[in-house]
Amino acid sequence: MPPADAPGRGSAVLTVSEVAVQFGGVSALSEVSLAVHPGTVTGLIGPNGAGKTTLFNVISGLQAPGRGTVHLFNTDVTTMKPHRRARLGLARTFQRLELFGSLTAGENVRVGLESTVRWWEWRRLRRLVPHRRGADGAGDAPESLATVTCERLLEGVGLDGLGDRQAASMSTGLARMVELARALAIGPKLLLLDEPGSGLDEAESAGLGRLLAELAAGGMAVLLVEHDMDLVMRICDHIYVLDFGDIIASGTPDEVRNDPMVQAAYLGQAPSTPAPVPGAATQAGDGGDP
Amino acid sequence: MSSFLQYTVFGVMYGAGYAISATGLVVTYTTSGVFNFAQGAVGMIAAFCYWDLVTVHHVPILVALALILVVGASISGALVERVLMRRLHGASAERPVMVTLGLLVILTGYATVTWSATTQHLVGYMVNGQFTLVGINIQYQELLIIGVAIAVAIGLRLLFYSTRTGVGLRAVVDDPELLAMSGASPNRMSQYGWILGFVMAALAGVLLAPVQTTGLNIEAFTLLVVNGYAAAIIGRLKSIPITFVAAIAIGVAQNYVINYLLPHLPQSLVPDVTLALPMLFLFIALVTLPSVRLRAVGRLTTMRVPRVAGGRESLIVGVLFYLVCIVAAVLFDNKAVDGTTVLTLGGVVMTLGIVGLSLVLLTGYSGQVSLCQFSFMGIGAFVMGKIAGGGSLFGLVAATVICAAVGALVALPTIRLRDLYLALATFAFADAMAQGVFLDTHIYGSGGVSVGRIIIPGLSFGGDGAEFLLVTAFFVLAAWMVLAIRRSLFGRRLVALNDSQAAYATVGLNIGITKVTVFAIAAGMAGLAGALYGTVQQVVGTSDFDIFPSIIFVLFVTIWSIRTVTGAFLAAVTYVAISQIWMNGLGIFAGLGIILIGRAAGGILGIEAIQVRLPWVKRARADSGEIPTPPLGRATVVPGGTRAAG
Repeated sequence: MPPADAPGRGSAVLTVSEVAVQFGGVSALSEVSLAVHPGTVTGLIGPNGAGKTTLFNVISGLQAPGRGTVHLFNTDVTTMKPHRRARLGLARTFQRLELFGSLTAGENVRVGLESTVRWWEWRRLRRLVPHRRGADGAGDAPESLATVTCERLLEGVGLDGLGDRQAASMSTGLARMVELARALAIGPKLLLLDEPGSGLDEAESAGLGRLLAELAAGGMAVLLVEHDMDLVMRICDHIYVLDFGDIIASGTPDEVRNDPMVQAAYLGQAPSTPAPVPGAATQAGDGGDP
Repeated sequence: MSSFLQYTVFGVMYGAGYAISATGLVVTYTTSGVFNFAQGAVGMIAAFCYWDLVTVHHVPILVALALILVVGASISGALVERVLMRRLHGASAERPVMVTLGLLVILTGYATVTWSATTQHLVGYMVNGQFTLVGINIQYQELLIIGVAIAVAIGLRLLFYSTRTGVGLRAVVDDPELLAMSGASPNRMSQYGWILGFVMAALAGVLLAPVQTTGLNIEAFTLLVVNGYAAAIIGRLKSIPITFVAAIAIGVAQNYVINYLLPHLPQSLVPDVTLALPMLFLFIALVTLPSVRLRAVGRLTTMRVPRVAGGRESLIVGVLFYLVCIVAAVLFDNKAVDGTTVLTLGGVVMTLGIVGLSLVLLTGYSGQVSLCQFSFMGIGAFVMGKIAGGGSLFGLVAATVICAAVGALVALPTIRLRDLYLALATFAFADAMAQGVFLDTHIYGSGGVSVGRIIIPGLSFGGDGAEFLLVTAFFVLAAWMVLAIRRSLFGRRLVALNDSQAAYATVGLNIGITKVTVFAIAAGMAGLAGALYGTVQQVVGTSDFDIFPSIIFVLFVTIWSIRTVTGAFLAAVTYVAISQIWMNGLGIFAGLGIILIGRAAGGILGIEAIQVRLPWVKRARADSGEIPTPPLGRATVVPGGTRAAG
């Protein structure tokens, strides 16, 4: 089956076609197809064990599919190594945090930033640029381009002034933002976010929603796995629903919300009950995929 | 034809012995996730105990077997799991490797001080007699080994797939928490695994002991079951049937090579190739393994990260250290300990310090384990000795470059595999080099390799003091370089690689290139250290670069702190000091040390109670307003997302 088409502002940056993954006798993904377009936020929802993280692993190259293909920016990347996919413009975060815990938050971001620069260009990152630290101008001093860029990225995810904290000592919510900043540091065109809202409070979650909307408005494609249904319904342009390794529905948030199969499989209501009211925070699921 | 069959029977017999040990290794690994490097040493101890009981004390064979297998091996396996391994649950990957290596050197150290090397330890057959079948003579002892191996394989298969305990044993590594919820005790299952592993190692030892026609030898017998390592690797550390078949195949292949291939080689090479064969098989097994996929493990180190000195600070400390060494050179000039000048010993400390620094870079920063740094030292010393009369600066450069290239070649086959396999590859390389090169009088010379003192026009390094200061200068430069690397982009990448390989790859960084690069740099540093070691000692011997000293030194650095320059230096000092006092006790010290430090990933210098007493640590913390983190030794690694709010 060709990937279901999602509304977008151009040709798909990611096309997953009939991908299947088998773990022993268990089918984690069977014939999954989807497409993600630039300038959109695409949701991928489903109950625990539906195969969402496995699909992310297939897209980012951590898991080889048994069947099917993955195309990134019109290039077949099905057998390509993860680091080469990243260099094409794919970045991701992880459901279970994968931080560089021994490094500071700033260094985490810097590793991402430096990965985009070839060794003969490293000096460019050390070039001094003007750096304005506060509204009053106190503490202004020229800093290296790398330092300034990392600080800006951390500020962008709400981690102002926390660049010197060891990543392993940060709370889950802050650590997720460090992961996000690190992913953004490589300048991705496609961003895969695996439950970025987990561990965030209501205000932080709202801030995350605004940030993702801004990124999409800037032309980035975002594929979002999230159990916070309020966030998903609010910011996604298109949603795929995964259940037992199959895409059981896809469409706009309204279409998905009113789909009886989705309600039965995931949102927790019988097909006959009314659809949930948008705006009411709904946490569907709380655990991990295989 | 009959000789072919005879060789085949011999091969099957040895293969059966390897199979028993290898399946034990697989059982331990599948139930605890730990590769027991001490498996061969357990077999060696069991073999010597058997010799002691049966040959010396005339204990009946069955009683001796019961004492060794049922009492000794079982209790030892249970104790090792309870006292050592259980504490390592959740620790970073290299800790269990270090602890089992500690066990290995303790057991070999104990054997060295207990059983005299001058006595020939010949062990009689358990069952005497032979019979002839299609023209070949088969000893009942050989038949016994093959029969026991088959019985063990069938027994294990039945245990794992037909009993509730067996299901628990298979489940414990996959998900201990889930197993606990089903009512089984993960700890008990793991303990059963260790008991089984020890019993099988001991069984292999006592069965193979009588067929050692030249008698038992501690090192040779410990490494004899390395063929079992290769079989276990081919079985991917999880399949008992594949492991079993692979062990038999290796045993047979070994006999064919010895009997058919070696006679066609120059006579001088025969002993080397024979001794290096097990390691060759292990290396081939590693190279042929399929790639493993990267896993997002969701583990996060919460270990306190040692502070990295800044550029100016490391320069000042380096200069002060050098000034202290100048004073020491004046004070200890012409002083000697047991016939060796203090400054020569100081020079040895500095060269070993450089090896320690290479381990800081390789293991401390990037998390890769190398057990063959002394082999690179040996190559470095050899190159230094053979180039331009042995005292040339060009020799130092050549030693560094050649060792870096060899290091890259050693690391290359294993970059697509798990880090454990790099440790195994370096283990194989270290032993193959020791047996095939360093002990070969045709290559290394019967009296060792002569290396002259460095010659720089206008400067003389003929005296011990001048040589000591020259080597010290190299140590200071190497320390400064390691710290500079840690502060650099490459240093951040090494630490990042150590913390999360999945994240490392998904930000666009090539894991393979980074691993090979850091391994090559570390090998180059060890090669430089070897060249300098040669210039200090002036003659380097065949036993200087053996596998066991190499492992013991890795443990010394780990005990002090494998993440710090200070740890590398203190490791070198204590290694040289203890080797002067009690050479045979080095392994016991190292083993006990690593076991006592347990899971403190930061070593002695990383222990909170010690850190808070160090004035420079206190000052640095006060300056940064740092909040104390939980002491080391507790929760080194936690699952992502379950940490306390910070």
